Amino acid sequence: MIELTQVHKRFGQVHAVRGVSFRIEPGQIVGVLGPNGAGKSTTIRMITGSMPPTSGRVSVDGLDAVDDSLEVRQRLGYLPEANPLYPEMSVAGYLRYRAGLFGIRRSHRAAAINKVIDRCWLSEVTHRRLAHLSKGFRQRVGLAAALIHDPPVLILDEPTNGLDPSQIAETRSLIRDLAGDRTMLLVSHILPEVERTCDRIIVFAWGEIRADGTPDHLLSRGRATVVLEANAPTPDALVSALRALPGVSGIETAALDDGWVRATIEGKSRETDLREPIARACRDANLLVRELRPSKESLESLYLRLVQDEPGPAGKSKPGATP
Amino acid sequence: MTACWHIALREYASFFRTSIGWVVIALYMLLMGIWVARAIIPGEPASLRAVFQTSQILLLFVAPAVSMRLLAEERRSGTIETLGTSPASDWAIAFGKYFGALFFLLTMLAPTGLFLILLEVIADPDYGPIATGYLGVVLLGMLYLSVGLLFSSFTQNQIVAFLGTLFFFLILLLATTIGATALGEPWSEYLRILSLGARMEDFARGVIDTSHIVFFIVISFWFVSLTAMSLEFRRWR
Repeated sequence: MIELTQVHKRFGQVHAVRGVSFRIEPGQIVGVLGPNGAGKSTTIRMITGSMPPTSGRVSVDGLDAVDDSLEVRQRLGYLPEANPLYPEMSVAGYLRYRAGLFGIRRSHRAAAINKVIDRCWLSEVTHRRLAHLSKGFRQRVGLAAALIHDPPVLILDEPTNGLDPSQIAETRSLIRDLAGDRTMLLVSHILPEVERTCDRIIVFAWGEIRADGTPDHLLSRGRATVVLEANAPTPDALVSALRALPGVSGIETAALDDGWVRATIEGKSRETDLREPIARACRDANLLVRELRPSKESLESLYLRLVQDEPGPAGKSKPGATP
Repeated sequence: MTACWHIALREYASFFRTSIGWVVIALYMLLMGIWVARAIIPGEPASLRAVFQTSQILLLFVAPAVSMRLLAEERRSGTIETLGTSPASDWAIAFGKYFGALFFLLTMLAPTGLFLILLEVIADPDYGPIATGYLGVVLLGMLYLSVGLLFSSFTQNQIVAFLGTLFFFLILLLATTIGATALGEPWSEYLRILSLGARMEDFARGVIDTSHIVFFIVISFWFVSLTAMSLEFRRWR
């Protein structure tokens, strides 16, 4: 449905998007995740036809986003990050205007408007001015406007930005509702947002794709660690007892208030179970163990690790694995 | 085409939903009222010739106030992004905005019909030159709005768009009057082609010269086309 092939975008000296490629199948809900300035919004703007790529190809439904821009835009429902609206218009007036812009015939217009008003729970504010609406309602109007022509592709850029927690929950459940059989691209810099809603996550950082896959697939890239609590006299004593073990790549220790020491031991590979060798090492060193449990890296810390490092001077992107 | 129409309608309506439309109409009525009052001289024939002759100056402040927000406001508020990602081409956007402003200009002229009623009551005016005078004002307004639209596409700031348009026509006015006199032949001949005042004088006198009509329409459309290109350029930058 959406396909990007080796897409680059430069703004003068700034290389904002560096060779991004991905392919989104119809019906997929994809989260585009990354810190601010990672190139997410620029990528989205190239898909919506707001700006052409410096090089590479962007296509939607087989149509080129630059050459067949108007046809592509007809297929997209887009909610921009700032959700800009005309403050002087009424909710119904704005939706009527959008319906007209998307070429919905007069005879179908009322039905189309009523449908999105229903879906986005706007019936109580239909005749209110946009300037007088709360942020949560404004966001729903933006969503309704993006849906007015029943587009097969829905692109939402930071849809919960600036909302309060109850509005966020509300908007999230609305988004899940709206997905249906649509292809959806949900841009966010907040992990839980996409983790809960999306089938697939694409992580952007420094203009390139750092990871691409299902949340489980991404988790499998995370580090496996073992948490140990033992009655070592000092943290160093515990480290020296464990350091010699094969398969251990790192140990972090902390002295606990009750005199015990906690160690977080990182394995070289995710598959090897370090619990048994650790237990043996502690027995050999005459240490008493009160806790020994495996711990998987959370998506959160994996994500933070993925987006941290700057790219090398070549700035080449790793080709994203399609799930 | 439908997109162009919907953009024009929205634009037209928004003049009245915001205060700008009413302020501009009031300003135009005030300025025109002052000129009409000065034009009515006891014993002289009842004519608005003087009013139409000075339309170049009258509209100089009013038309840029109409055109300044057209695209600058869309850029400032960011709505240009939702507009630019709808299936409306840059040409539909430019022409839609332009026609919206033009419809407003025509609406703005309607209440000046009060002056005609007044004139009819106190005297027996000749409606021929008045009709051509109005035609001249509309054509002049078309030109002012098209240039104003282009300036509005350059900036996010309505004041900058307003002043840019104002300066553009002030410079044109100075060049075709003081400039033409100072430079003498053959420059004054060339500058006369660009002189809006000379063309307005013909309209005020009751003369319909096709070349004037063509001049205003062609140049206006040329500036609207430039605006469409300016929008396209923004995309490609």
